[in-house]
Amino acid sequence: MFRLLAGRFFSSLGTLFFVGLVLFALTRAGPGSPARIVLGADATSAQITQFEQANGLDRPFLEQYVTWLADVLRGDFGKSFVTGRDVAGEIVDALPVTLSIVLFAFAIALVFGVGIGIWAALRLGGPMASVTRLGVVLGLSIPAFWLGIVLIRFIAVDLRWLPPGGYAPLSSGLMTHLQTIAMPAISLAVYYIAVLARMTQASLQEALRGDYVRTARAMGLSSPRIVVYALLNALPPVINLAALSFGYMFGWALIIEQVFNIPGLSRALLNAISQRDFLLLQGIVFLFTAIFVLANLGADLVNRVLDPRQRAAA
Amino acid sequence: MNRLIQLVRTADWTGWLGAAIVLVMLGAAIAAPLIAPYDPVAINIEHRLTAPDATYWLGTDQAGRDVLSRVIYGARASLAVGIGAVIIGALIGVSAGLFAAYKGGLGDQITMRIVDAIASIPLLVWAIAIVGVLGVGPVAIGSLQLPNEVKIVTLIGCLFSPVFARVTYAVAQRIVSADYVKARYLQGASHWQIVTGDVLPNCLSPIIVQATLLVAIGIVIEASISFVGLGVQPPQPSWGTMLSDARNAIYSGEWWLPVFPGLAISVTVIGFNLLGDAVRDLFDPRHEARTLVA
Repeated sequence: MFRLLAGRFFSSLGTLFFVGLVLFALTRAGPGSPARIVLGADATSAQITQFEQANGLDRPFLEQYVTWLADVLRGDFGKSFVTGRDVAGEIVDALPVTLSIVLFAFAIALVFGVGIGIWAALRLGGPMASVTRLGVVLGLSIPAFWLGIVLIRFIAVDLRWLPPGGYAPLSSGLMTHLQTIAMPAISLAVYYIAVLARMTQASLQEALRGDYVRTARAMGLSSPRIVVYALLNALPPVINLAALSFGYMFGWALIIEQVFNIPGLSRALLNAISQRDFLLLQGIVFLFTAIFVLANLGADLVNRVLDPRQRAAA
Repeated sequence: MNRLIQLVRTADWTGWLGAAIVLVMLGAAIAAPLIAPYDPVAINIEHRLTAPDATYWLGTDQAGRDVLSRVIYGARASLAVGIGAVIIGALIGVSAGLFAAYKGGLGDQITMRIVDAIASIPLLVWAIAIVGVLGVGPVAIGSLQLPNEVKIVTLIGCLFSPVFARVTYAVAQRIVSADYVKARYLQGASHWQIVTGDVLPNCLSPIIVQATLLVAIGIVIEASISFVGLGVQPPQPSWGTMLSDARNAIYSGEWWLPVFPGLAISVTVIGFNLLGDAVRDLFDPRHEARTLVA
C-alpha cells in the first residue's frame, strides 16, 4: 500500500518537474531577455553582462531551472527584477483572495452538482429527466464570465442586493466577505455543477444496474441502504472529476476576478504580463500547476482508500 | 453510410437543434461579408449607442459600430479558434495514441508519459500566461503575417491533444491485439495499411465525439482570452472583446452591448454540446469517450 502511494507521489513530482521545465523555457521564449527588459533599450552590453552575472542568468539553462525550483520548494520564489519585490510576498498577498473564491465555488459545485446528480439518477425518466438534461446543457454552455456580467446587472445594479464588485477580506466580517465573493463564486460554480451532476447521475445509474443491487433488493434491504452502497461504488469517477474541476477553477477564477474587479492572483498575473515580470509569472503559473497536479494526486489517493480491491492489490 | 441513415432516423430533436445551430453559425462565419448589414469596424460617432431599432437590429456600440455585424464577424474568430484547435489537437493526439498502441514497449511508455504530463497542465492559466509572454503581436513566418490567434489555436490544440491521445490509445490497444489484425499482418499488409485501414477507423467514433464537445470548450476559452485582452486584437470583432468593451455598459444601461455577444457564445456552445451529446449516444453507446471538463 505504502509503496504504491509513494510511487504515485513521486510520479506526480516528476510530472511537475518536467512541466515546470517547459514553463521555464516558454517564459524565456518571449521577445527580449530579462536584462534588456529591466535595463531598457539603451543599456550597454557591459551592463547587460553584469546584470546577467549578478542574477545568475549567464548560468546554463538547466542549472538556472533547478536552482529556481529548489528555491521555490523552500518557499522562496525569488525577487522580481522589475519591481524589486519578493515574489512569494506578492503571491501570499493575492492567493487568499483567489483561494476563498475558488473554495466557495468548489463547495457550491460539490453540494449542488452531486446532489442534483443523485436526485436525477433516482428519478429516472419522467418529465424532470428532460428538465435536468436541459439544465445540464445550459450550465455547460454559459460562459462563467458572461454569467458574472449578467448577475452584476440584475443582482447588483437593478436589485441592489449585493455589491457589484470589489473584495472584502474575511477579517472585515464574515457577512461582508461572503457578500463580495457570493456572485463570483456562483458564476464560477455553475459550469462545474453541471459537469458534476452529469457525471454523478451517469455513474450512479450505472451502479444501480449492478447485480449486487438486484441481490440486495431480493434480500429485502431497505432502499436507502441500497442507494448508499451504490453511491459508494459510483463515487470514484466523480471524485476524479471533482479534483480536475478544482484545479481548472483557478484558471476561470482569473477571468471572473477581472469581471468583478477583485484584486486576486489575476491582477498579479496580468501585471506580471504587462511589466514582463518573468519571476512573478513563473511563480503564479507554477503554483497553479502544482495545485492542479496535487489535487489529482489527492483524488487518486482517496479512491485507493475507498476501493477495497485497490487496497488489497497494493 | 448506414450509420448516417441511422443518425437521421434515431437522433432526437435536441441533436437536430444542435446540428442546426452549428450549421447556422458556420454559415454566418463563412458568409459574414455577404450577410453582415454594415462594416463591422466602421466607426460612426453620430449613431453611437443606438438602441436596437429597424436600422440597427442589435443596436450600436460606443464607437457607433453595428453590433449585429460585429456578432456575425465575431463568429469567424470563435469558430476558427475552436475548430482549428480541435484539428491540431486531433492530429497530434491521434498520431500519438496510434503510435503508442501500435508500437508498444518503451515507445508506448514514453509517449503516454508525455501525454500524462501535458494533461496535467491547467489549460486556461497556461494559455493566458504564454500568450502574455509571447506578446499579442502578429506572428511573422517569412513575409507572411499571421494574426495573434494562431498562437492561441496552436497552444489550445497542443493542450487538447491528450484527450485525443487517450481515447485513441484505449480503443487502438484493443484492436491491435485482435486476431483479425494479426491475420492481416500475416496476409502481408504493411504497418501503414494496418494502422490506417484497420486500427484508425475503429477509433473514429470516440474521436468524433470528443472533437465536437471540445470545439465548445475551445470557443469559451477563446472568448475568455480575448476578454482579458490577450486574444483577438481590436478593432477586429470577437465575442470576447465585445463583452470586455461592454463592461461599462452594465452600469449605464445599454443592455444590448453585453447581451448579444454573450448570447452568441452561449447559443453556439449549446449547439456543439447538443450535437456532441447526440453523436455520443449514437456512435459511442458504451461511452468510451471520457467526460470532458476544462
